[in-house]
Amino acid sequence: MSHQLRSELLKLRTTRTLALLLLAAGAMSLLGVSVEALSRDLDTLAPEDAQRDLFSSGVTVGVFFATLAGLVAVTSEFRYGTIRPTLIVEPRRRVVVAAKLVAAALAGSAFAVMCVGVTFGAAIAIFAVRDVEVALSSAHTLLLIAGPIVASMVSAMIGVAVGTLIRNQAGAIVALAAYALLVDAVLFAAVPSVGRYLPGKAGDALAGRPDELLLAPGLGAAVLIVWALALLAAATVRNDRSDV
Amino acid sequence: MGPVLSAVELTKRFGAVTAVDDLSFEVEAGSVTGFLGPNGAGKTTTLRMLLGLAEPTHGRALVFGRRFAELERPAARVGAVLEASDLHPGRTGRDHLRVLARAARVPLGRVGEVLTLVELGDVADRRVAGYSLGMRQRLGLAAALLGDPELLILDEPGNGLDPEGVRWLRDFLREFADQGRTVFVSSHHLAEVAQTVDRLVIINRGRLVVEAPLRELVDATASLEDVFLELTAEPST
Repeated sequence: MSHQLRSELLKLRTTRTLALLLLAAGAMSLLGVSVEALSRDLDTLAPEDAQRDLFSSGVTVGVFFATLAGLVAVTSEFRYGTIRPTLIVEPRRRVVVAAKLVAAALAGSAFAVMCVGVTFGAAIAIFAVRDVEVALSSAHTLLLIAGPIVASMVSAMIGVAVGTLIRNQAGAIVALAAYALLVDAVLFAAVPSVGRYLPGKAGDALAGRPDELLLAPGLGAAVLIVWALALLAAATVRNDRSDV
Repeated sequence: MGPVLSAVELTKRFGAVTAVDDLSFEVEAGSVTGFLGPNGAGKTTTLRMLLGLAEPTHGRALVFGRRFAELERPAARVGAVLEASDLHPGRTGRDHLRVLARAARVPLGRVGEVLTLVELGDVADRRVAGYSLGMRQRLGLAAALLGDPELLILDEPGNGLDPEGVRWLRDFLREFADQGRTVFVSSHHLAEVAQTVDRLVIINRGRLVVEAPLRELVDATASLEDVFLELTAEPST
């Protein structure tokens, strides 16, 4: 397992994909947070809820990109055929998937660190320039830092599971984007009592988004982990049986 | 000691298509065995089953008497290349080998050795996207050699090699087998095969056509091409 994990981590470090995704995540966090923090009126920025909303919009970018990174890590093995040399060297497929999960979780935490850092850095700097007091309580600050880290790690593993299930890289990315932009948002808007149990919304809750209709952060974490386990179970069945 | 490779009533169906049909053969240690058949005969599917990448519908595919997935440290026993294109274009040749060396529990120093062996040392730090097909073939072979295996399984390794590369590969495989190790190689290049192999396994439409030493099939009056085309000819109706 540790040998395969070192191999998987080296895979992530030896192409540009992960670095580019990290940069893209950081740039999107920066853009989103800056536009909001610069454009809003001073009095609408002052309440704690407004600031939580602003910060969480920046940090949740990392959760989405962590999912994407997990997805791409698996599907690029199928896209370029490197899954064959991988499985010829280590034919125990569950060992390979387990190593990919751990590697993806570690990479996922990097996305959270990137986006939390960018969000806090940009927002606090802009607040200072605009003379807005940072009103976040220490509990909410902790949630906005620790929540995205846990959510990104679990979501990156969800990405690995979805990539194992779908395999086709373009198809998997389209499915993820369609899910995140449509299914999650539409169902939550239409029937929030159900939609809040979807993985995207559970992740939002965990990442500290202040929305009365979302689950509590702890419950969000539990729901997200249940989703991850369910998808992993399905992925394991597919992974054990399918030809490559 | 049992056979290095054995297919026992090996069958693989994809829906209504039977790609490999009740195929049985064995490969003995210390030989270079050619695996021949027309396009679509089931060669690659057979190799995938031997390597544990595809599950047989029926029958068994055994390597050193076991299913591939049951081998301890498979890289030290079997090196294999199915597709020369099974490489990430954005990764360098050296990094491709380092990734596999890690998983194979091979010291990273071995990467430089196999790069020298396949004569890719000069381009090892370039991204694979810039490699010719021949260079990709050599890189695949380098990966297969990382664990210093007893058996090499190669699918069309001559594709994309220039004449000098073809000669190099032939000499390499010969030397590999002369050390008591085993090569199982599929190919379309019959003239090349006739110069390289000791034994032949020929299949057609997923079924075994012949399994025999080369010298029993080929003589002064019949070239391997003659024999191959006769054995794999479609029955005239």
